[in-house]
Parts: sequence; C-alpha cells; structure tokens
Amino acid sequence: MDVTGLSGGPAHRRLRLLELVAQHQWVPIAGYGFYVALLTAGYYYNLTFVQLGLVDLGTNRLGMPGRDVSLVMALLAVVALTVSVAAGVVMDRRGWSRDLRLKLRLLTVVTAVQLILTVVAPQLGTPAGFTAWVVVCAATIGVGMPVTFSFMADLIPIRDRGFAAAVPAGLAFFVASLYPQQWRIEEFSAVMAIAMTPAVVVLAALAFRPSRLVDRLARQQTRLGPGRFTRPPALTASTAAFALAVAALFAVFFIDSLGFLRIIDTPAYISTSWQSPDIGVRLFIAVAHVVGAAIAGVLYTTFDWRWLLVWVYGLFGFTHLLYMFDLATAADAAPPLLLPGMYVLAVAFYTTLNFALWPDLSTHDTIGTRCAVGVGVAGWLASFLSTSLALASDAAGVTLLTHLRYVDALALLLLLVTPLLLFAGRVRTLARQEAP
Amino acid sequence: MTPALIPMLLLTLLLIASDGADTGTARLVLSGEHQLDDTRETVIVGDAAVTIPDDAVVTAPIYVIGGTTRITGAVDARVTQIAGTLVVDGDAEVDQLRVIGGSRRVASTADIGRRTSADPAPRTQTPLRSVVPLAVAAGALALIGARLERTRRRNLDNIAGAVSRHPVVTATVGLLLVITALSLLLFMAFTLVLIPVSLLGLTVGIAVTALGIIGWGHRLGQRLPLQQPRAATAAGVVAVTVLLQVVGAVPVVGDLVVGFVLLSGLGAVVVTYLGFTGFQPAPLPD
Repeated sequence: MDVTGLSGGPAHRRLRLLELVAQHQWVPIAGYGFYVALLTAGYYYNLTFVQLGLVDLGTNRLGMPGRDVSLVMALLAVVALTVSVAAGVVMDRRGWSRDLRLKLRLLTVVTAVQLILTVVAPQLGTPAGFTAWVVVCAATIGVGMPVTFSFMADLIPIRDRGFAAAVPAGLAFFVASLYPQQWRIEEFSAVMAIAMTPAVVVLAALAFRPSRLVDRLARQQTRLGPGRFTRPPALTASTAAFALAVAALFAVFFIDSLGFLRIIDTPAYISTSWQSPDIGVRLFIAVAHVVGAAIAGVLYTTFDWRWLLVWVYGLFGFTHLLYMFDLATAADAAPPLLLPGMYVLAVAFYTTLNFALWPDLSTHDTIGTRCAVGVGVAGWLASFLSTSLALASDAAGVTLLTHLRYVDALALLLLLVTPLLLFAGRVRTLARQEAP
Repeated sequence: MTPALIPMLLLTLLLIASDGADTGTARLVLSGEHQLDDTRETVIVGDAAVTIPDDAVVTAPIYVIGGTTRITGAVDARVTQIAGTLVVDGDAEVDQLRVIGGSRRVASTADIGRRTSADPAPRTQTPLRSVVPLAVAAGALALIGARLERTRRRNLDNIAGAVSRHPVVTATVGLLLVITALSLLLFMAFTLVLIPVSLLGLTVGIAVTALGIIGWGHRLGQRLPLQQPRAATAAGVVAVTVLLQVVGAVPVVGDLVVGFVLLSGLGAVVVTYLGFTGFQPAPLPD
C-alpha cells in the first residue's frame, strides 16, 4: 500500500536536514556530521574505555580489590563533576561558549590528551599510577563535557535536536554492544589509538588553521538561536525548571545505577545479555538501543519534555519490577530477553534526553554552566553517590533481593510523584490564568 | 518472541490456572531447541523445538502454543495443544491428549490414554475458507466505521487527521505503547491474580487498534469518489483491511508496512484521546 500517497500533503514537520540536503547546503550538513560523529565517538569512548575498561584494568590486571576499584571510579566521578562545572562556568563568564573556534581548540587538546592516555593505559603497573591516570582522564572528561554538549546549540537547528540527540545515543550503544566482544585492553587501546589519531589531526587542522568552513559554521549560531525552551512559544527554562530537571534526571540515574551496579555483579543476568557469547542476543540489544533512541528522538520533538521524563521513570520502574520478579520467582531458567530489552529502552530514553535537554534549556551565555551542571549532577554525582551506597550496602551484607527492594521502592515513589508534580504544575498555570 | 504469541500465552496461563496447575513454577520455552527428560514443572512451549526423547518419562503437564513438539518417550500427564505443531511417534505414550488447535501428526500405534478435542474436524484449506474470516472482519469494521461516521464524525476526522499528517509520530507512539503494554500485560498475567485485568487490557488494545484501522479507512474513504460519506468510510475500511491482508503476504517489507499502519492507527487513537481532540505537536520556535 502506498502509505505516503494516503498521508496527503507535505508532512507537517519534516526534518530540517532533509530540506538542507534538497537545497545542497553542505556547510550546515557538515555541522550535523561533525556533531553526530563527535558525540558518538565521545560517548563510545566513555562507555567502553572508561566504564568497562577501567574496572577491568584495576581488578584483573592490577589485582586491586573490587572495593578499591569502586573507590577509584567514585573519584573519577567527583573529579569529572568538579572540573566540568568549573570549565562550564569559565566558558560562560569569558564568553567562550559562543566561540566555536575556541571550543574546537579546547576539544583538540582534550582529544590529544585522551589519545596519550589511551596509548599509556596498557602500560600501567601500580595502583598509584592507575589512580593518577584516572584523575587526568576525569579532568579531560570534565573539560570535554560542556564543550561537546554545547556544540548542539552551534550546529543543530531546534527542529532537529531530538533527531540529532537520538543518532549518537543509538549509535554509540549499538557499536559498544557489538565491539569489543571480549575485553582485551592492549588490543582495544591499539584500535582506539588508530581511530583517534586522524581525528586529532583533523580537529587540530580545523581549530588552529584558518578555515572557511569553521567561519561559516560559527556564523550559524545567531540564526539557530538559543535553546528551544528559552523563548516563546515554549518558554519553560526558568532556573527553577532547570533545577527540577536536574533533580529529576539525577534521581533517575541514581536509582538506575544503584540497582544495576548490583545486577551487573550477578553473572546470570550479564552473561545472558550484555556479555552473551551469542551474537544474536547482542545484536538484539544493539538494535533495541537504536529503536529506543529513535522513539525518544521523535517524542522529544513532538511532546513536552516533561512527558519524556515520566516515560523514563515509568520504564526504569517497570524494568526494576521485572528484574525483581525474575529474582523472586525464576530459579535457574535463563532470564528472558524482555528484561535487558526494557532496560535498554529506558537507557536509550535517558541518554537521548540528556543530549538534547541541557542545550535546549540554555541560552548561548548559560550553555556551558547548564550542560556541566546537568550532566555533572545528573550523571557523575549520581553515579558517585550510588557507587558509594552500593558499596556500603554490599559491605553491610545486604542481599541482592533486599537491596533491589529498596531501589524498587524508590523507583515506584518517583513514578508516583512525577505525574503528580506535572499535574500540580498544570493546575498552577491554569489558576494563574484565572487570576486577573 | 513474536507479539502474536503474547495473547496466546495469556490465554494459556488462564487455562493452566483453571486446570489447577501451578503457573508460578511454569517453565516457558520460548526459543531454540530443547530436550525434556524429566521435568516436574509445567512446560509451555512457545516458538521452540522441544523433543521428549525415547527413554524420558515426563510427569508434568505440557502446553504447546507454538513451535514444534515431538514426543518419542512417555508423558505421564496431560498434553494440551493450542497451536503450533505436535508430533507423536509410534512408540510414544501420552496419558491424556487435549487438542484445541494447531496441526499435528499422531502415529496410529502411539499409546494415548484419553483424547479430547475441542478442535473442529481437520480442515482442508480452500481459498474460500481463508477468505471468510477476512470478509467477516472487514464487514464488521466497515459497519462500525459507517456508524461512527454518522454519530462521531469529529472523532474519526481527528484520528484520520493524526494518521495522515503525523504518520511517523503516531507510529512511534504506537510502537512504544505496544512494547510497554504487552510486557506489562504479560507480567500481570504471571501474577495470576491479574489475569482478568490483563485480558481486559488485551481487549482494549484490540479495540483501539481496530479504531485505528477505521481511522485509516475514513481517511482513505475521503479520497474515494463516493458521494455518501458513510459509504465512503465503509468502503475505505474494507479497502484498508483487504490491502493490509494482501501487503502482509509480502515477506519482511509487507510486515513492516502492516506494522506501520497498525501502530500509527493505534498511536493516533491515543494521541487524539480517542479522537475527542485534534493532535497538535508541541510548538517549536523557528
């Protein structure tokens, strides 16, 4: 059946990108390509090297106890948070947030340092060296975070931001679920170094040599304007709203990592999903990431972001219930793929929302701070606190089931509170309209 | 697991509960090849290939709702076939065989204690037979569509407007709702107490999907050269139903197109609040 023939007339909200392609406007299209490639690569590096690789490096190669490795990871989170907030504030104060070329230079330095860190990683031999490595790595992540997230405002038109956030969120997880299959730090470090070297060269050429492309991309900023929620018709980016968004996403991520830190330690779950030897299972998870991100991208563009937040809560809460149920009932049967599938859907929503929301809640003069605080508090601080708490609960001898019960209780509570707050907010708006 | 299996699974759980068996320990075999040697828990066979080998004696009830189950050994309990394929070999022993649907090949020398069948006599597929259910479905939907056109035209207009102007958004909403709702319904069914709720949910889901198809039909009907609006909607609904059936026969692409149409219809019904309001996406600055 001819679906497009039935739809009649032009689609209401076609991607701006398609119009740009039709008009052969290659400069803005190059901006899309740059943004997507940068975020995909950055997030992939973070997912694999930082989250998978460091734990492996500390536990298996240096023989550190799991507790110490978790402490080092918590240190990573704190340093990344502090540096990123500092970097974000400086960027806004000095007006660097508006300066595309300067941000490219910062990014070049960050990537170059990370390249060196990647090459050095397999040579690390002592826990002290490992800790020092982690601190430097956290500092580069801290500077890199506000810089990369703020490129959204420079390069992507408002209408396409959901889409532009969904592509890296889906792609990075897609690749990370398929490669590396087996974690070997030497091999992975070599592959990453080979991939990063040309990237550093291209970035340096763009940032430090006169380039017409960069000049023209930098001029786009005034046309693209500040974030979607900082101006009519959807003006919702007050400081209070921003604080609420940070608190809400902090809570999501806190609960998520609190629960899953323990689940990831449970071999039955991890070997039947993320680390399954069966390529079909991994492919399923990879595709689920892409589908989830695409759904989140479309919803982000079409609905108020607060609805997306409710979905994130709902999905995480439901996923926790599923795991809890499985733990309580299934004895030795393989857990169904539905469990990781739902989890992946929730993660894809969360990631896409993170990429798109912070730039859209900021103007060109607040984007550094807001991206740093948003990602820093909602991501790094949450993971720091939940790591500490999970360690404490582990040390106190709390069983997995009891631990998850607390997490479930928290998830359900938030699931209840979020729609109520949304409803109360709507009531307040209506009441204000009523008042003269 | 295919989505079509979920309703079947819900019904099966209901059946197991009414049989007095314990669903809490039921083992669900959803994919791959398995061999059952001696199991004491109820087994539900989904899209899997399950064999009960020569020397095995299974003492737990087996419910076949998909895939292929081959019995060569002995089952000292009831085997219930609802769908899928059941093969009983010559030397096999089955205490009770209950047949509700599906296809089977039972060797005449197999030792079957008691046999009950709720399945009508084995059907031979004739072209006419395969057309009848489609005609009934299309006719029923067309009648409902025509009636709604008269009594609730605004609702149909809103649903049709949403599918035609925002097909991607409505399909996305539909996809998300189907994924989460089906998981939720299945999850509820496993608690046993909530089986009625999940069956109710399934019924609502089917009704909403049907309304979505009527919405597409209404939209198509507006394009047909028919003066009478009710006739146009009815004809549109019939056309959409038949087209879905025809396109669905094409592998892969057909499934995708059918999925897209059904999901966007379902999504449109939801985002328009059953058609009581038109769908407006969130406003964006330029």
